[in-house]
Amino acid sequence: MTAASPLLAIRGLRAAYGKIEALKGVDVDINSGEIVALIGANGAGKSTLMMTIFGKPRARAGQILYEGKDITAVPTHEIAHLRIAQSPEGRRIFPRMSVAENLQMGADVTESTPAERESTLERVFALFPRLKERFAQRGGTLSGGEQQMLAIGRALMSRPRLLLLDEPSLGLAPLIARQIFDAIRTLNRQDGLTVLIVEQNANHALKLAHRGYVMVNGLITLAGSGAELLQRPEIRAAYLEGGRH
Amino acid sequence: MTAPSTHTTKPATSVPALLKTAVINAVIALVLFSLMVGVRTEAGSDGQLTYWTRFGELAYLVAAVFGGSIVIELLRQWIGPAGTEKLVPPAVQKGMSLVGRYLAPALLIFTLLVPVIFYDQRYILDLAILVLTYVMLGWGLNVVVGLAGLLDLGYVAFYAVGAYSYALLATNFGWSFWICLPLAGILAAFWGVLLGFPVLRLRGDYLAIVTLAFGEIIRLVLINWQDLTGGPNGVSGIPRPTLFGIPLDRSDDGLAAKLGIEFSPTHRIVFLFYLILALALLTNWVTIRLRRLPIGRAWEALREDEVACRALGINTTTTKLTAFATGAMFGGFAGAFFATRQGFISPESFTFQESALVLAIVVLGGMGSQLGVALAALAMIGGFELFRGLETYRMLVFGWAMVLIMIWRPRGLVGHRAPTVYLKKAQAISSDLVKEGHG
Repeated sequence: MTAASPLLAIRGLRAAYGKIEALKGVDVDINSGEIVALIGANGAGKSTLMMTIFGKPRARAGQILYEGKDITAVPTHEIAHLRIAQSPEGRRIFPRMSVAENLQMGADVTESTPAERESTLERVFALFPRLKERFAQRGGTLSGGEQQMLAIGRALMSRPRLLLLDEPSLGLAPLIARQIFDAIRTLNRQDGLTVLIVEQNANHALKLAHRGYVMVNGLITLAGSGAELLQRPEIRAAYLEGGRH
Repeated sequence: MTAPSTHTTKPATSVPALLKTAVINAVIALVLFSLMVGVRTEAGSDGQLTYWTRFGELAYLVAAVFGGSIVIELLRQWIGPAGTEKLVPPAVQKGMSLVGRYLAPALLIFTLLVPVIFYDQRYILDLAILVLTYVMLGWGLNVVVGLAGLLDLGYVAFYAVGAYSYALLATNFGWSFWICLPLAGILAAFWGVLLGFPVLRLRGDYLAIVTLAFGEIIRLVLINWQDLTGGPNGVSGIPRPTLFGIPLDRSDDGLAAKLGIEFSPTHRIVFLFYLILALALLTNWVTIRLRRLPIGRAWEALREDEVACRALGINTTTTKLTAFATGAMFGGFAGAFFATRQGFISPESFTFQESALVLAIVVLGGMGSQLGVALAALAMIGGFELFRGLETYRMLVFGWAMVLIMIWRPRGLVGHRAPTVYLKKAQAISSDLVKEGHG
């Protein structure tokens, strides 16, 4: 599986905010149909990596190859048209717009037919029945877990091949976080969706992921299968012991 | 939940706080009024300064402020900041929602009939035209401020561009109103884009300052570019609009003569009324249509969260520029109408005060609400005229009304935002889902 050319290949990627270098030459491969977890402490550069894939901030050096094509210089708003979707950190749903409008915003990007939209919407509702219940409600009145479901649902509305999730379990009760992770697993198994998930909750993320990368200070320090990384003593010491729910 | 504790603690803590506020207000009043009221100065018969004190009046004023601030504070605590539903019984709410549903159509029908009902009252017709002009300006600015969330303090600039476009094209080239109207809109939209580019990266306060400056720049250019704009003297002799080439005057080609009816100057006023009504309704219709299209949704999403917009593949640059251009275009239309109605324009009509007034209409009406903006324009412009008899007190009443609206309805008269996307087969889905969700 890993022998074929990856869906997303990141090669020697560097990015900076002003003079502060956040990514110092990152290499990551994401194969089609995989869930890849990116774990690391606060400020390691995980979110920056995710945002650099979307061109904000722009890469200073290195390449981002998507389906073999270099997308490093593609404008931010066009990345979404390549069927890469993002659920950004902190959910960032549109609070004064209804759940329906939030979902519609995700679908507006694509040149999909009404029938396709309908079926995507049905799929999102099957995954997150709560959203169907709350359809007419304003986004801002949802609970944290529902907002996270909405953020993922909104990203799914663009019918992505690659889904980037930034801290989907942030601030959620363990039970709700599990629901979110279950939904991601379902999406991967049933729909063949490729997922890159950035998480501080290393235990959950590595159990979910096929493969994982550990990031420290803007560099990838460890890579391996999820199960493998979970067994590594340094991972256990740094991210798991005491941090378990 | 926390009701018992607040009930027991509230009066205990609020009485000293109440007195403190009142004393502070009284002291401020004392400082302010001691020179304004307490000491009266006048030039004496020989030119020397005479003065005398009026401590009695001063004492009355300070006492009034002291008592007044207690009353206001009590009122505020009793009524509370809006949003809490407790004071409005469900029956009243039901009635209000019923009123809300029929208010807009009823208002529209009434507006259509205004020239019929008040045909003989020139003053009311003129006032109605003025109100409708501000309704249109409010709806235009609503696109920028209410939908896209870009605080624009220089909206009057586009009004001015529209007015001068028509005035100059008509007086210099003799073009008709109906050719100049779209041109005025296009030119204003062009200036909207021109303003949009430098402010693409700005938001909130910074955006407000730059747009404020833009409004002033346009006004100063109009004053100083004497060769083109006539400077402070303005442009006069602007042609009146025609009904597709038929003038509304006393001449033999005039509409009255053609229809074989007796000429009356009111014909032109009625025509102007329906013209601005049509323009305002066009603004409203376009806005409502755009809100349901991806571009309108993108405007609203931009107001909510710019980062999320980019992640969803929205081109924030074009989204902002189209919002500026659309809003400016309607401002330009309104400006062209203003020029043809007045027959004379000068930079004096396009001061910051106009921008502030239109912005106040949008904010008071409830940002993004079309009906709210119309009601606010009616209240602000019409109400302002209503209190004309009170002379010096009308600004006071006006200010009071604004403060009260913001206390009671902080989100504006119509704070409710109607969603634009509905679920098909809503009934069937919601009923079986409610069970599923709660089970």
